[in-house]
Amino acid sequence: MDVRAILLIGGKPEASSEHFTGVPLAMLDLLGASLLNRVTHRMHQQGISSIAVVSEYDQFPDRNLSHDLRWFKAANGQFWRFAEAVFNDFAQNGAELIVVLRLGPYVTVDYEKLVQFHLDHHSRLTQACDQQGEALDVFVISASRRNDAAFIFRNMLERFRVPPDVFPLDERQNRLQTIADFRRLALESFAGKTGIEPQGEQIKPGVWVAPGARIHREARIVAPAYIGAYARVRALAVVTRGSVIERNSLIDCGTVVENSTVLPFSQIGAGLDVSFSVVGFRHVFHLQRQVNVEIADEKLVDMASTSAAVRALSDMVSLALYMPKALLSNLREKRRESPATLPEAVQAIPPSLSTATVEHQDRADRHFAPELMAARRYGNE
Amino acid sequence: METSRPVVVKRVPERVNLKEARQFLRAVEPILQSDRPQVVLDLSNVRQLDSAGVDMLLHCMSEAMKRDGDVKLAAPSPEAMVVLELTRTGRLFEIYDSATDAARSFSSFLPNVMRQFSAPETPTITFPSAGSKVTVSHVQPGGNHENAA
Repeated sequence: MDVRAILLIGGKPEASSEHFTGVPLAMLDLLGASLLNRVTHRMHQQGISSIAVVSEYDQFPDRNLSHDLRWFKAANGQFWRFAEAVFNDFAQNGAELIVVLRLGPYVTVDYEKLVQFHLDHHSRLTQACDQQGEALDVFVISASRRNDAAFIFRNMLERFRVPPDVFPLDERQNRLQTIADFRRLALESFAGKTGIEPQGEQIKPGVWVAPGARIHREARIVAPAYIGAYARVRALAVVTRGSVIERNSLIDCGTVVENSTVLPFSQIGAGLDVSFSVVGFRHVFHLQRQVNVEIADEKLVDMASTSAAVRALSDMVSLALYMPKALLSNLREKRRESPATLPEAVQAIPPSLSTATVEHQDRADRHFAPELMAARRYGNE
Repeated sequence: METSRPVVVKRVPERVNLKEARQFLRAVEPILQSDRPQVVLDLSNVRQLDSAGVDMLLHCMSEAMKRDGDVKLAAPSPEAMVVLELTRTGRLFEIYDSATDAARSFSSFLPNVMRQFSAPETPTITFPSAGSKVTVSHVQPGGNHENAA
């Protein structure tokens, strides 16, 4: 049977919040792979032959994304027209069933069972609902029912010509409306509450490391944690409390990452304290304060190029610059002469001490010098 | 008891990058050069703070402390607070909800210091009148009061 799929990214009014600094949440990496990547991979595994993506956004670079994915960027106001056109195109080219799924909200769907349910019930339209009975934006539409499909698309998946059959899922969906939902999904995945598994090897209980990641031996990774492919964690850095370091990220020396997600290609400077945050694209979203802060300072948060060649070139340049810098700083150290004598002001007895006579008793077991006194700076605290 | 020295409240600009930080520091420098400066930096307007801005705050604090003064922060915006936490500098400053609270906090430490020294089994200090000698007394654990004048 020819089953194809249309994935929709954006389109609904609530989709205006379903992104982080302009990148839809469905296209952000979560434990090594984007949700879009996970959905398409699962669809391919379960026999869906062709997948088209209709999106309001450009395709974010993702080398793991299936190459036979057809990407349609819809112009403003044309999103649902595009979806309808893709549906018609699939129907004309021999598709029998078409799965329509909107990302945003995420739930792990067994597409084989969904399609089987649709066939068993001789449905024209089937809609999935989650564990709590909430309707999901997941449909199976018979390709011959073009008018039904057109009606659904024109009503933004909200209204139907015929009531759909309802396919119940065992999971609860994550609505993924904000970046805080995205972070919660990562924590739930660590706890095994979703079908999302970290992409990498579990090197110790609760710690996953993807191929190519480099962790300094003096860095500490405390479970649960995830270090993505080609990420670097430098000396004395600490990654703890369910933190996720995605691919090609850098955590510099001494930085603590606590209960946070560092998105791909992000670089966190040395000696920082990243907690309860999602960091990426030169932004820090603080989950407790609910504030998104743009960081224009590359010493704090920077972003590496998504091109491997540019990154390699940049590494080579910084290495080449390091040697002369080190030589210059050594020369400067040698030139700096220490003063022959300390300035008179330092050696002279302060006037307050010269007028005071401080005497003390002679005690053999003296622990403190008698002229020392401990006083709190603020007496009321 | 109120201290007679003035508390200066300065509003930090909206963007604090290298250029702005230098300008601001130039404006604050005379205040920091005074004897025991008491400065409140109002961060309520700050929308963007970078490492130069953080460096400027730390510089203000170190300059003030050299002269036995202090710098306190007031009403930091969420953006400023995120950067202060990120750079671990938030914990170095006393942070108040408003500039008024911060200014008020400068005038409340001296009486308690005095009270502390009147407690038993702690060294007592007799403050001398002008021209006389400082006397430090020690209280023995047994209760003998030995004066080491």
